[in-house]
Order: sequence, then C-alpha cells, then structure tokens
Amino acid sequence: MTATPSVADIRPTTCGFDADPASAAAVIRVDGVSRWFGSVVAVSDVSFDITPGITGLLGPNGAGKTTLLRMITGLAAASTGTVTVFGEPVRDNPPLYRRMGVMSEHETVYGFMKGREFVRAMGKLRGVADLEGAVDRAIALVDLEDAQHRSMETYSRGMRQRMRLAATLVHDPDVLILDEPLNGADPRQRVHFKQLLLKLKSEGRTIVISSHILEEVEQLADNVLLIVNGKLAASGGFRAIRAALNQRPYHVRVVCAAPRELAAAVVTLPSVDAVHVDPDGAVVILSRNVLDLQVEIPRLAQRAGVSLRRVEPLDDSLESVFGYLVEG
Amino acid sequence: MGSVYRLTLRQLSGRWRLAIMTALAALPVLITLLTLASDDAPSVSDYESAILGAMLAGSILPLVVLAIGGAAFGNEVEDRTLANLTLAPIPRWQIALPKLLAVITVAGPFIAASAMLSAHIAFLGDGRATLAVTLAALAGVAMYASVFVFLGLRSSYAVGIGLLYIVIWEGFFSGFVSGVRLLSIRYYAIALMHALDPRRFADADSLPAVAAVVAAAIVTGGFFLLSVRRLRRMDVP
Amino acid sequence: MTGTVFDIGYQHYTGPREGRGRSRRAVFTDGIRTALGLGRGGRAKILPWLFIGVLSAIALVMALVAGAANSFAGPGSAEKMNLPSHSDYNGIASIIMFVFAAVVGPELLCPDRRQGVIHLYRVRPFTGTDYIAARWAAFLAVTTLAVWLPQVILFLGLSMGDPAPMEYLRTHWLDIPKFLVAGIAMAAYAATLGLLTASFTTRRAYASVFLVGLFVISVPFTVGVAEETGGKLGEWISMFNLTNIPVHVNDIIFGEVSEVTEDAPARNLPPWVRVAWYFAWTIIPGTVLWARYRRLAP
Repeated sequence: MTATPSVADIRPTTCGFDADPASAAAVIRVDGVSRWFGSVVAVSDVSFDITPGITGLLGPNGAGKTTLLRMITGLAAASTGTVTVFGEPVRDNPPLYRRMGVMSEHETVYGFMKGREFVRAMGKLRGVADLEGAVDRAIALVDLEDAQHRSMETYSRGMRQRMRLAATLVHDPDVLILDEPLNGADPRQRVHFKQLLLKLKSEGRTIVISSHILEEVEQLADNVLLIVNGKLAASGGFRAIRAALNQRPYHVRVVCAAPRELAAAVVTLPSVDAVHVDPDGAVVILSRNVLDLQVEIPRLAQRAGVSLRRVEPLDDSLESVFGYLVEG
Repeated sequence: MGSVYRLTLRQLSGRWRLAIMTALAALPVLITLLTLASDDAPSVSDYESAILGAMLAGSILPLVVLAIGGAAFGNEVEDRTLANLTLAPIPRWQIALPKLLAVITVAGPFIAASAMLSAHIAFLGDGRATLAVTLAALAGVAMYASVFVFLGLRSSYAVGIGLLYIVIWEGFFSGFVSGVRLLSIRYYAIALMHALDPRRFADADSLPAVAAVVAAAIVTGGFFLLSVRRLRRMDVP
Repeated sequence: MTGTVFDIGYQHYTGPREGRGRSRRAVFTDGIRTALGLGRGGRAKILPWLFIGVLSAIALVMALVAGAANSFAGPGSAEKMNLPSHSDYNGIASIIMFVFAAVVGPELLCPDRRQGVIHLYRVRPFTGTDYIAARWAAFLAVTTLAVWLPQVILFLGLSMGDPAPMEYLRTHWLDIPKFLVAGIAMAAYAATLGLLTASFTTRRAYASVFLVGLFVISVPFTVGVAEETGGKLGEWISMFNLTNIPVHVNDIIFGEVSEVTEDAPARNLPPWVRVAWYFAWTIIPGTVLWARYRRLAP
C-alpha cells in the first residue's frame, strides 16, 4: 500500500438503489485521463466509470476536480486518455449534448435577460420540443415561478443558481454534471435541492456533483470519487472506502456506567490498539477491527456487569475519510 | 442559429453604443456637407484619400467594427458565458456564423448609411459611385468583422492587437511601405470601390477587381473558418 | 450548555505596521508592473514592449538615416537637409504613443473595478485619492519611459553617427533637457486621457477603442473643417486636433515647428495660448479622473 491509499473500484452497497454491478453499465467512462498545463499536472492518470445514480466528486481546492469535470463535459481537452459518455467520445461531439446537462461553477448569467427568457433561450438552443411546456416544468422544479419574469440582475445569488439549474434541466438530460451547485444556497434551498436530485435519480439519470459541502454529498451520493493532487485517491461508497483504509484504526466511543472497568476489559483485546477515557467519562477505543469490536464489547460489558448506554463510531463520516486522505 | 443571432444582437446593442455609432456615422456626412459648401471643392482623389480613405475606411469603420466584433465572443469569454453556447448540440459553425452576422447587422447599417450619404452628397447624386462606395464599405465591415470576431475568441488582448493592426500596420506603415497594402483590409475595400466604378476612380492605382474580390472572400471566409476551428479546439472557460 | 474556545495557535500579525505611504508605494509599484507586464507571464509583456519596441525602432531608423546622410553627403548635412530629429520625433510617434496609452491604461483601472477588487483597497486606510494618484503616477512613469527611451536612443545614435561625437555632444547638449520636458508633457497628456476613458467603463476593450477613436477621428475631421473655414476660426478648430495638442508644446520648447504641425493652422496662435490649451486638456481631465475616484466607498 502506498502512502495515499488508492482503492480500486468497490461496488457500493448502500440502500435505496439497485447496486447490481452487472445491470449498471457505465454511462461515463474515464480512461487513463491526464491533463497538464505547461509543467503543472492538474489531473494525473485517472480512470473510473460512472453509473446511473448520484456520484459525488470530492477533493480539496486545486485537486483537479473542476478540470476533471470540464474534461468529462468536453469543455476542456484531455492531454492523454479518453472520456466517453454513452460510449461516444465527448470532445468535439455536439450531438451528445442533447443528453447532457451541465452547470458550471461560474455564476455569471446574461444580466439583461429575464429568468424565463434565459431558460427558454437555453431550451431553444438544445432543440427542446414543446418549448414553453418544458420551460414551465423546469422553472416549477426549481420553485421560481414567481420570479421568472424579472430580470436576472435582480436575483439573489441563490435564485440565480436555481434558474441556472432550471436551464440545465430544461431539455430533460439523461446525464447531469453539476459543479458546486450549492454555492450560495440557504438551508431551505439545500433541502429542496436534495429532494430534487433524489427525484431525478429515481428517474434513472446519471448525476455527478462536485462539492465541498461534505454533508450533502454524504447524504446524497451513492458513489464518491475522491481526487487529491490530481490523482484518484479513492472511489466507492464512503463506508467501503473507510473499511478499506485499514491502515487507519477506527475510533469508537462508548458511554457506560463504569468506564474504567470496561476500559480495563477492552484493552485486553488483541484487535484494540489503544483505550482512553475522555474528559466526559466515556471510553474511547482505537481499533483496527470493528467487526470484532461489535461482538466483543457487549460480551465484555456483560461479563464485567457494566451497562452500556451508547456506542458510537467517531470516524464514520465522509469528513473524517476526507480528512484522513487529504491530510495523509 | 436564430437564438444565438438574437442573443448576440441584444448583447451588442446598448443605448450608449448605438448613440456613439450614430455620432460617428454622422461625422463623414457632416464633413462632406461642409466641403461642398465651401468654394473650392477638392478633387476626387483628394476627397477619397481624406474622407473616404482616412476617415471612414481608415478610422471609423475599423474602430467601430473592432469594438463590436471584438465584443461578440470577447465578452462571452471574459464573462464565462460562452459555455452556454458551446454546450448546445449544434455544430460549431452554427455558433460562429450568427455571431458574425450579428456584428455585421449592428455595425453595418451605420457604416453603410454614412458611406451612402457622404458619397451621394459628394458625388452629386451619382448612383453608381454611391453604390460603389456603399458596397465597398459593407465589404470592409464584413472583412474586419470576421477578423475581429476571431481575435475576440482567440485572445484576451484582441483589442490591443486590433488597434496595433489598424493604427500602426494600416495607418502608419502603409504610409511608408506601399507593399503593406497587399496585406491590408483597408486597401482591399478601397480597391473594391475602384473596381465597382472605374470611370469615377479611374486615376487610382490599386488591386485589380478580381484580386480585390478574391482577397475579400479569402479574408472573410478564412477568418470565419478559423473561428469555427477555434471553437472546436479551445478549452471553453 | 457551556461553550469553550480552544487555543489552536491562531496568531495575530505582530510585525511592523506601515502607514499610508507604504500602501501608496505598493499600488504604484503594482501599477508599473501591470502596465509593463512584469511578473505576469510572457503573454502580458508582448503588447507593452512591442509598442516600446516600435517607438524605439522609429528613433533608431531616424538616427541611422541621419548617420547615413552624414557619411554620404558630409558632416552636418543631416541638419542641413532638415531630416527628422528630436523636435519631430514627438509628432511622428504621437499616435503610437496614444494607442499605447489607450491599450495599457485601462489595464490599470478597469480590472480592479470589474472584479470588485477596488473595494478591498478601500478597506484599508487608503482613500480613493491615494489610489488614483498612485495609479496615475505609475502610468506616468511608464509613458515617460516610452517617450524618453526612444529619444535617448536617437540622441545616442545621432552623436555616434556624427564623425565627431564629443563635438556633437557639446553643440547639441541642450537637446537633452528639451526632449525630456517635451517628453514628459506628451506622457502626462497621454497618461491622463488614457486613464480618464478607463474610469468610465469596466471593459478595457471599450475604453481603448473609444480613446483611440477620439484621437484618430479628430485628426481628419479637424483638419478637413479647419481647411474649409480658414482664418481665426480655422486656427481654433485646428486646436481640437487632439493628437497635436502636446506637439504644439513640443514645438514651443524646441522653438521650431515640427513636421507634423507645420501645416496646422493652429501653429499661428501665440505660444501662451497653445500652452494654456495643453494644460486645460491635461488638468481638466485629470480633475475629472480624480473626482470619479475620490468618492469611492469601501
């Protein structure tokens, strides 16, 4: 294992989605893609498949997320490697855009246009049939019917994002690529957006979101692609990623009636690296084998006559995975 | 294509811009009126070189087209809205062509009106001379538009390069080195004017008619093709 | 519920805090670097240095031609033939100078306003006046360089092309202060107008084209109209030839009419009128420029 753990494709096993690998053919295939600008390598030999559902693209600033997304959408060329969407190369292939909706991170819009005009213009460009109906539906999806006849200059940042999203959805694309779509969204909009994305996913679309807001991605994404320093550091469900990182021990926190007794018993387990009692009186266990812990803690507690009040993993969030991988 | 065309028309016509273009278009007409009002009217070649050559073709025409043409793609690249167009499932020439046509539509009428009125007044209603001047002016607009639309797409220094070309290459050097004319849009346009009305502009020495037409076609078509190529190969911001 | 703030080692800046003078100098230096493309990659350097190169090349050619005349037709013949020299240089190069100011000037002001960076300046104890004064000073320095360098090249070329360089130096040393002052006059005029148009728009392209248009179009317009009207009115109309305004000052300093202005009716107006006109066209635009930036709120 190298210093930055590279995990090959691990099929996710999260609920709510048919995760049978055989039935989910790759919609987007990135194969050996690199991109350099002069002597700076932005993306380095990245390969992955994206299947229908929601995939989160994560990474620190400057990791190459936006460059990678731009290559997936054909806006930028790859220095080497191929990017295919629905089996066709995405670069210099305009007809493919009929099935793709892209929302870039830049927030500029045509200020002189009214919201509806903008969505309508984008729909017209993408050859939408029943234009007015499609525009109505798209604007209803983002809940901006009231503001659609106002000039976009008067919109708040969040409204502009939503109207741009409507323009991205107006032609009913099968593939959605969203770069930082939650920039400037307030909590209510975030909830609405999540519901919208889940609805779109249930219709069988392929959605790729790049975001810094880890909580949202954690809750939304079936699959996560972690990009660090231009390389693919991990891919798969984040729990699976975490499990694969068995270099890093898990922290588990146990609240019980007699912490020191439990601690004394737990420290005898071979799978436990360390035990300490935190200031609140909870036992924090550092272990490499959570499955073993799952069995042993109740057994030890019962034997010691200690009643358990609470057992919680401390690391099981994308944030900590992110943290481990990013800080190395 | 219609949507790109209409969108670009709206982007390029602002109140101030249209007002300034009207004022600029009026200048040659004013001067022509003044010239005629005075006692000693200049000869054809004097008028041509001073008003048509220097003022209209030399400065007003290319500068107006630079401002409008450079902005056609230039503003989109600067504002990062170009992706809205390139992410459409249409061939790239269907993006470049309406942009070019919109530039010609915005700048053309002012230049054409200016040329037509000035020539009409100066040449005392001679239809053929007026037509020659107007058509040559429009050809100039098309040529400059094609070049500057490409420049706006290709480089963020489009205006600087365009000004260098207009003021220094066409303006400064052509005064000293006559060979520069062979590579100068201004002279292609002027040659076209001579070709369209040889009786009036008989004493001028410039490119023969066929060469002028071919040059105009090559410049307009060539830079348009370069724009299409650039759209296909560039990294869209 | 209690809350605790942990000391994770956040440190305040404890070094010396310098005053407004330092900020002014910083904006000034940044202005010079932006104008000349220093520290901004190869591409940014092409345009400004190309202009300076063309301006210098013209001076070099003038020197070579004079030197050739001297060697073929005997010493001093360059002056006898009234070949272009220092007094003519400003007039010949003026339009290039103005295009340079029109293209480079907006780089100093427009991007800050377009991207909203200008408001960051105002967060510090740094007024709008400080900002525009520093930017103007920086641009003046650059335009002065663009005017002086070619003249220095010309002087060196003429003195070295002369069979007796030290003799040339002795007889012509007065040219130096003359072209230095005339150069600064030209530079101040170009710099002020270049920045003024830039202060009216956030897109550099429009500022550049507008200024060049103003110069380039005023020339044939005023020339044509002045010729027609003639007389006193014609002289005053000729004064609106914007490219000639600093050249008249140049003429007054050198005491002779340059090639470019020898046909201009305005040359007949008394010297103090032309100098006052120059100052009007430099100070009033400068004041408007200052006024536009003075009330800049953070």
